[in-house]
Parts: sequence; structure tokens; C-alpha cells
Amino acid sequence: MYYQLINFGNEEFYAYPNKSLYWKRLNTLIVSDLHIGKSISYAKNKQFLPPYDTKEILKELFVSLDKIQPSNLIIVGDLFHDIFSTLSLKDQDHKNLNQYMDKTDFIWIKGNHDKNIQIEGFNNYTNYEIDKFLFTHIPIETTLFQICGHYHPKVKISHRGKTIFKTSFVHNGKIFILPSFGILTGGLDINSKKISDVLGKKTLSIYPVGQDKVYKL
Amino acid sequence: MNINKSNPLLLHPLNKWMKKKKWSWFPHQIETFHHVQTGSDVVVFAPTGAGKTLTGFINPIDDLIKSKKFKGLHTLYISPLKSLANDIVRNLEKPIKELDLNISFQVRTGDTTPYKKQKQKQKPPNILITTPESLALLNSYENAKEFFHNLKYIIIDEIHTFLDNKRADLLSLNIERLQTFSPNLQRIGLSATLKNKQDAKKWLCRKKPKIISYENSVLPKIKILESKERIPWSGHMATYSINEIYKEIMKSKLTIIFVNTRAQAEYMFKNLWLINKKKIKIAVHHGSLEKNLRLKVENNLSKGLVDCVVATSSLELGLDYGDVEKIIQVGAPKGINRLLQRVGRSNHNLNTPSKAILVPTNRFEFIEAKAAIEEIKKNNLDKIDLKEGSFAVVAQHIFATACAGQFDINDLYKEIIKAYPYKKLKLNDFKQLINLIQDGGYVLKNYDQFKRIFQLRENKNIYKLVNKRETRKYRMNVGTIIENPMLKIKLGTKTLGNIEEVFIQNLSQGDSFIFAGQVLEFQSMKNNLVQVKRSKSLISKIPSYSGGRMPLSTNLANSVRALLAKSNMRDLYPEQITEWLKRQKNISKIPKKDEYLVEQFPRKKNFYTVIYTFAGWHANQTLGFLLLRGFKEFNYKPLGFVANDYAIVLWSLKEVKEIKTILNLGLLDKHLDNYLEETSIVKRLFRDNAIISCLIERRLPGMEKTGKQVLFSSDLIYTVLKKNESDHILLKSSYEDAKKNMIDYDRLRKILKKIDKKIILKKLTSISPLAVPIILEINRENLSKKETDDYILEDLENEILKEANVLSIN
Repeated sequence: MYYQLINFGNEEFYAYPNKSLYWKRLNTLIVSDLHIGKSISYAKNKQFLPPYDTKEILKELFVSLDKIQPSNLIIVGDLFHDIFSTLSLKDQDHKNLNQYMDKTDFIWIKGNHDKNIQIEGFNNYTNYEIDKFLFTHIPIETTLFQICGHYHPKVKISHRGKTIFKTSFVHNGKIFILPSFGILTGGLDINSKKISDVLGKKTLSIYPVGQDKVYKL
Repeated sequence: MNINKSNPLLLHPLNKWMKKKKWSWFPHQIETFHHVQTGSDVVVFAPTGAGKTLTGFINPIDDLIKSKKFKGLHTLYISPLKSLANDIVRNLEKPIKELDLNISFQVRTGDTTPYKKQKQKQKPPNILITTPESLALLNSYENAKEFFHNLKYIIIDEIHTFLDNKRADLLSLNIERLQTFSPNLQRIGLSATLKNKQDAKKWLCRKKPKIISYENSVLPKIKILESKERIPWSGHMATYSINEIYKEIMKSKLTIIFVNTRAQAEYMFKNLWLINKKKIKIAVHHGSLEKNLRLKVENNLSKGLVDCVVATSSLELGLDYGDVEKIIQVGAPKGINRLLQRVGRSNHNLNTPSKAILVPTNRFEFIEAKAAIEEIKKNNLDKIDLKEGSFAVVAQHIFATACAGQFDINDLYKEIIKAYPYKKLKLNDFKQLINLIQDGGYVLKNYDQFKRIFQLRENKNIYKLVNKRETRKYRMNVGTIIENPMLKIKLGTKTLGNIEEVFIQNLSQGDSFIFAGQVLEFQSMKNNLVQVKRSKSLISKIPSYSGGRMPLSTNLANSVRALLAKSNMRDLYPEQITEWLKRQKNISKIPKKDEYLVEQFPRKKNFYTVIYTFAGWHANQTLGFLLLRGFKEFNYKPLGFVANDYAIVLWSLKEVKEIKTILNLGLLDKHLDNYLEETSIVKRLFRDNAIISCLIERRLPGMEKTGKQVLFSSDLIYTVLKKNESDHILLKSSYEDAKKNMIDYDRLRKILKKIDKKIILKKLTSISPLAVPIILEINRENLSKKETDDYILEDLENEILKEANVLSIN
């Protein structure tokens, strides 16, 4: 699988086009904002999205786990969309998840969407520290390097008279934001106030996600 | 009393008023009165100026006066445009007020205030003038049955605009609903002259169907602008003739300049303004302008307070502006009916001809304009193709029905298949559409506890809305017209209108653009509002609006081909066009009426193939893609193609040797599915269908979710659905819509069926004169959206790497 090398906090990370991030030295895979079961939670409000998102997200995740065989999987928040969305996990899905957990440590960091959800066999954390890195859903005041999610960053690119929006990995040297691993999740412009409040005025490193490749701007 | 026997209208309440005006009744008015009185549903075909509006009201007014103090709603008048509805009120007001008739009438459209709407529901007028969307809304209220149970007549104005689109489908379903409410309801259709009158009759009439027709014997006077300037090879802005257009405006009291797109309207207005030395009053009118601005222009037009209005199709229909002396059509006419409709806006006096001037913006358009004039002389009109109704519209109608109260699905099905577009709707498809409204209609039944409508336990045929809150959602999503995401433009606190979000995204702060005839500077975007200020900048962009591209009608295309094949060029065209065609004749060939000319030549290291199909833009666009595939198969290494209404050009690295083998019906059968898959056509139609069927919500002003996100998430839904449930009813119907509307499948099929025997192949050493216009249009690559996105990223990345003087890591 093609990856883009990203240097962050003096460590090497690989960004994959399926929107996951790999920390090779610690054999750790990082994903964010899966929003499993978003469809079922929308159905509650009579917005009937195709109910196949959970199946697809898990499939993509399992493919990654099979390929990379990481020791750890860190989910930096919003694994589930809300309490309803856990309904979309079938018995077989639970079985599969448990099987992968035998080989890989799942570190589920709680996000704003899933903070009240408990699932048997899942360890969860409000944040998680490894060396000088803090894994958290939303960045906090700290001197550590932070790897987080929450914002679903998208970058607006205007080039040769055309404007496109692309899901994107982004960091400012101190804070790294992952794109959403979900299927029916939208995105937020990295120039929007919400994101620039977090990343500040520092130069950003932006990595838009293409069809089979992660680019570097 | 023999006279009264021959003309019963002499006893009509309006006769006094007609006499006062020194007008006499038209034969078609007498006929209409008679047939409607004896119980017929009718369609009346008559030119503008032949009292069409009045014709519709003859029976209703007579009946209202006779039945004395009729309580409640008596007659419904459906107009295709809001602006037309207002105009009808103005016209109806005159006789009713002057004769002091005791008849109440009101207008109800999206522009009517909630307060007024509420009052109308409590105390309905005798005559209500409204639009298809407002009718659909009225039918979704719980008391719809009581509101309409006494309805005697429904008048559909400009019915020719309602025959071939989703709006027509919506209207047809709602007419059948009214018929259920009020079984004695009679239908009166008013139409401009049509080629296939029988189809209009079938669409509308049920009881003793009757066609009433009145042809105008006075033909319009249409000519092409005699320009001393050079007519450009390509382009659509008519800049070359701006001074001559200005002179034409000066010659007449009141002129409407029709253009084909909103961008052209702004551009034309700006250019006229720049040379407006005599300070004449010019205004601009198009669908994106704020309602108040539009109304102001319409008012000024009817009062004769302006000298010229530049307009798009927004002013095309029915409006009765008696003082308009001249019509100028800038750009290709595209179709005979459309041109006639526009020309008919001038001079509403039947006995003197309407006057119009055509301004072709390029050379092919000159031939097209000439052909259109010839056809109008022969009264050879375009045919309107009736289509099978859209599934998404049925879904919306099911939702509306549920909003009005519980319903029996068998009754609903029986009612729907009475509507002409749905005669062939299968019960099975209908049931899938019920499921679509119920819970999305997916095979995977995940949403059982979240249904929107549900079956009653005691009777499985009866469905009911789960709660009242859903009615609000329906009402916010009603209608079949899906616009691209738009943003409101604010100048200070004043709203000027709507602009496509995509256009604004391409602007930076300080950039200027033209809108509503003013040069504006982009300041900021907040909460979906675009804040602007006036600018004096001379360099400004023109907003473009995608969609709505009209292809050349088959009828007119045939006549263009016939005209082109004529040898007496000198009599037909000005010097420069003749020269162009003569050179073409010498270097290559001018195709005969039934021939398909194919030219091939090398140019700048590439190999070019130009095919003159005259098949219209949609069909050519499709054919271009299919050929690209075909060329790939033969390993000609194609690089791209461009299509317009008349021709397609493809360029490739290698010489295309087997064009005759490739260009046939097999091409269509083999590659069409790929085409639909790879372009965004089906995806876009899916978005429309998902919104129409209320699967996803329409963006409304003030809602947090931006249009971009709606588009984005409908793309995601499309992708997920296609992968997991490719036979979902909305995917199926989007595919059908693409075939019916976007790619001109039938037209292309007809051409490809016979093309192989009619190809005239010319191998040339360089570009031919006829090919110049389309070669000039090559400016974009035809890659699918996904590929384009990655191409842009790749290119940008490389540029940055080059700038940084580092080699690509790949």
C-alpha cells in the first residue's frame, strides 16, 4: 500500500490513503472518528442513509489490521456515532472484533460522540500517553505532542481555476489531526475558525488524501 | 336570437366588457365555451395575443355568476412561473373590477406570506392562481379534501412547458388527487401551438377529450442581424455586435434581449452599459435575482418605464407586456418552439407580425439561426417527447399523501396510474417506493423501529404517518427543481439574489464580479451570506451557472443539415459565411442532408478526428466518451474529446484507422454502462432523486448544513449504496433518468443505427474550415471528477516540488 511519510515530533509516521496512520517504531496503527452506526442514528430522525456503513468501516479496518498486524490500535475518539449506533453491530461483528483484540491491543479513546458508551471487552481511556506523545480526541493544554481527531479536516485547494475539497491529514508541528475513517462522515475546512483556533497561525503541514495516494502540500 | 345561438358568448357576463373594449370573441373562445359547457376536458392551442388567459376563465366566470354567491374554491389556475401568476392576477382584475363582478381571486405561490396563506385556507377565494409546488403543498394538508371538494375547474396554463419533466409528473399526480376530491372537476389546458397536440390531450384530458386550435395566419418577421463586423468562429458572448445591438434597441420603443444563460445576461448587460452614451434605461432579469428586483423590472416593463430588458428564459413565458416592440435573441435558438415562444413576447396584437432579430454569436449559430427562420416560415414545430414519470416524484407524492392523513395503498396506486406519465407504473415498483418513504427501502432491514410511515396492524393496506413532525419535513422538501448549492448575496443589508456556492469558492477577498448588473467586490462570507460592496473595478468575473444546458432540437438539427447542404450559398449567407463554407467545400466536403462527415488530420503531434453529427450537445457528449473508449480498445491512445451541438472532436497520439469499424451501434451497447459509471451524471441525478424522494433533506437558507455537505454526503450515499445494493429503486431510477434526459440515449441510438452506411470519411493534411470552431473549444480535459481531483493534486504537488527544487520522492 502506498504511504506518505510524515515527520512529527521527531518520529516517522506513515499516512495511508484509507485515512489510517501508522507508527512503525511502535508497530501502532492509529485511526479516528469511525462514527460506526451513523446511519442508524440518522434513521432515528427519519433520514434513511444506506445501512451499510458499519459493515464497510469494519471491513476496511480489518483489512488494515490483517495487512499491518499492529501490536496496538489506537482509536482517537468517536468510534461510535451515538448510543443508538451500537445497535448496528451484529453478533458476528462482535465476534470478529474480539478475535482481532486477541492479536492487537485496542486502545479506545473516548470522543464527544461516544463518551457514554461502554462495550464489553473494550478498554477505554479519556486520553493515552506514550513517550512524549498524547493521544486524545480533542487537543488539550499540554507540552506533549498531541495526536487527535474530532475535526474531520478537509483542505480547500484552488489550482488552475478549479476548486476541490479533499479529506486531509494535518499538523502544525505540535498537534496532529487525523481525518475521519468513517464512510458517511463529512468534513470541516482546515481554514475554518474551529480548526484554526486549535492549530493557530503556525505553518501547517497538509496531506490531502487522494484515490490511492496521500499527497503532501 | 339567431346570433346568440351561433355565439353563446354574447350572453356571457364578460361580453359587456369586451364590447366596451371594442374587442370581439375569437372562434376558439366560442368553441371552448361550448365544449366545456357540455362537459369536455379541453386543450386550447392558440398563439399569444389570442386571449388565451381569458379563454381559460370564460367558463369559470360564467358558472360563478350563474351559481350566485358560490362559497369556497371554484377554480384553480396553475401557472408554471411565479411571475406569470402575478401577471394573471393583474389581467383578471381588469374585467372583474370594471364589471363589478362578485368574484374573489387571489394568488398563492412560494412568495405569498404565511399570514395570507393562512387566511386563504380559512376563507378560500373563488379563483386561486398558483403553481404546481403550491398545489402539491395544499394537497398535503389534512383538510385538503374539504378545501377542494367543490372545485369545478382546473386551468393549466402554458401546458406545453409541463409535458416532459418531473414538474409535469408532480402536477399530473396532484391533478388526479383533485379529481378524487371533486369527481366532477373539469380540466382546461392552455398551450402555445404544438406539433403533437394529441400528446397534450392524452396527458391532460379524461372526459370527452377535445382539442381546440387556433392558428395565427400572420407570421412573425424574423431576421438575422446584419453585421458589418466579423462573426467569430467560436464563443457565445456576441461582443462583436454590441454596437449594432445597441443601435437596434435605439430604433424601438421597448426591446427584450433574450440570451441563453444567466452569465450571458450579466455579460450582455454590462457590455451595453459600457456603451450606453444615450443613457437609455436598461435592466437585467434572470432567475437568480432577488424577487423584489425581478418584480421591479417586471413592473417597469409593463408600465413602459424601461427601454430594454436583458433576460433569460425567466421572461419567456406568457407575460403580457403589450408595449414590447422588438425581440432580440442573442445566441443559438436551439429549438423552433423556444424561439417562437420568445418572439411571441413582442407585439401582442394578432394582426400585426411580431418582430425579432437574431444575433448569432458564432458561425454555426448563424446557420442555425437561418434554419430556424426557414422552419418558422413552414410552421414546422418541434415535437415534445412525453416520458414515463419519475419514481422519485411518486415517492414524494406518497409522503405528501401520508401528511394529509392515513391512506390505503391500493386506492393510492389506482389513483396514480390514472395520471398519464404513470400509466405503466408497476405495482411492484410502487410498493418499493412505499418502502422508500417508510424506511429508505433497503434490503438490509435495520430501521424497523424508526419508520416514517407504518402499516396499521388491523389493516395492512392502510399506512399512517408516524408523527406530525414529519409533515414539516415534507413541506420543506416539496418540489422537483433541485438547484445547485446557492448563497445569498448581500449588499449592505439588501439582498441582491443567489449565486452558486462553487463560484464564490473560487473568489478571494477583493475580487470583483458582476451580478444584478452591478460590479461588486467580494468582502466576506458569513453564515451562508456573501457580503459584497460596490466596486469600480473594470476587471470582473461573471458568475456561471451550471446545468440547464439546452441541446439543439432534433427538428432544428435536421433543418440545419438540410440548409448546409444547399448549394446556393450566396443567396443564403453574408460574404464571410459563404467564404467559410466555400473553402470547406474545396478542402474537404460539405455533408449532404443524410451524410455524416468525418474528418481526420494531424495537428501539433496529435491526430484529430472530427465527426459532424448535429446530434445536440448531450448526445455528442455521450458519443465522445464512447468513442474515447472505442479508441482505447484499438490502442489509438486517445487523449481527450470536446463536443458541442454540432460535432465532436477527439484527439489521439496514434492515427485512427478503423473509424468505420468503431462508429456503430455496438459502441453504445458495449460502453454505455461504463460511461454512466465513470461520469458524475448518474451521481448527480441520484442526488436530485434522493432530495426529491425526501431521502435526504434539501438545504434551506439558514440551515447549518451547507449545500456542499449535502452534495458531499449524497455522493457518499451513492457510493455506499452502489457497492452494497446496486438494484435499489433510487439507483435504478437515476440510471433511467440519465438515459432519458442527460445523454439523449434514444437520439444517439437512432443515429448510430444508420451511421455506418452514411459516413463520408475525409483524410486531410490539416484542419478544415468547418472544424475550426470546435477545435477552438478544446480547453478542458474530460476526466472523471475523481481523476481530475487527483490530477490537480498531483500537478500542484509537482509544481511545489519543482519550486522547492527537490525531486519528487516517487
